[in-house]
Amino acid sequence: MKYLITDDSKLARLSLLKSLQPYIKNDEIYQATNGLEAIEIMKTHKVDIIFLDLTMPIMNGYETLPKILEINPDAKVIVVSADIQDKAKNIVINLGAQLHIKKPINKKKMQEIINILA
Amino acid sequence: MNQETITLTEDEKDVLQELMNIAYGSATTVIAEMLDAFASLSIPKIEILKTTSLLAKFDDLKSTSYFFSTQAFMGEFSGESVFFINKVSANNLAQHLELENNEDIHDAILELTNVLTSSLTTRLAQEMKTEITYSSPNISEISLEQIADTQTFKNYSQVIVIYIQINFKDQKINGEIFILTKDGSIQWLKQRLNSILAALI
Repeated sequence: MKYLITDDSKLARLSLLKSLQPYIKNDEIYQATNGLEAIEIMKTHKVDIIFLDLTMPIMNGYETLPKILEINPDAKVIVVSADIQDKAKNIVINLGAQLHIKKPINKKKMQEIINILA
Repeated sequence: MNQETITLTEDEKDVLQELMNIAYGSATTVIAEMLDAFASLSIPKIEILKTTSLLAKFDDLKSTSYFFSTQAFMGEFSGESVFFINKVSANNLAQHLELENNEDIHDAILELTNVLTSSLTTRLAQEMKTEITYSSPNISEISLEQIADTQTFKNYSQVIVIYIQINFKDQKINGEIFILTKDGSIQWLKQRLNSILAALI
């Protein structure tokens, strides 16, 4: 399995990575600090699961999400965001995200994500 | 007043920015529900400025008259939240809420300030595992020329400025929020940011 963590914050990436650790065996994990970097990674690696922040510089999550699915329509995108407005959730789900998870991520939330994705 | 130069490392800034992002998301949601509108979120900016530079920065707001409200918060993490809204946005807010007179507009902005500050700083304090208390918000309508004389900015020599925008595009309402932390809080803040990061590495 290949994972991609996309967030401009190092804290957010580390926090997500730590929550994900118990579920990783020989899986590959990539990191991107904005949408553009995420797309470049998607072009060269067939990533299965993408954790995507919405508020990022250069290219935000709303712009990135359809481009990711264009590259790999089978990819599962989990939006992890502090923007918890209903409209924000509806937009990302309509764009094709599997889930919208409220920041900050923790072990309990990650367990729920893994259960849903299984 | 402590005149030592304040510095934050890139990691400290990153942690504070992410905590602020989380707090900002929660606060925006509360306001969006209150106004029954959708807000677009921007990336919070963290800067360390001398008060004189902060005042110069306000010139960039490019407006001659603002409603300007402040609210102090106290605790291990203490400081002041400063909210600016220009007259056009204030009028649009009044229209959106169907308010008719200045007193009602002032009241609505005070409530907006109160909800914004308390939601933002409460969530930020939760993430930093501390508690804070609040003063009542004060509101004043001032011109940019008068900002420098406002008591708020005389309480600080240099400040960590957390700058965020709140923007309701459809209603054409936007405002700027500055969270100013007092000099005495900064060492505490640095230690807390470092322990949060250390726990993840």
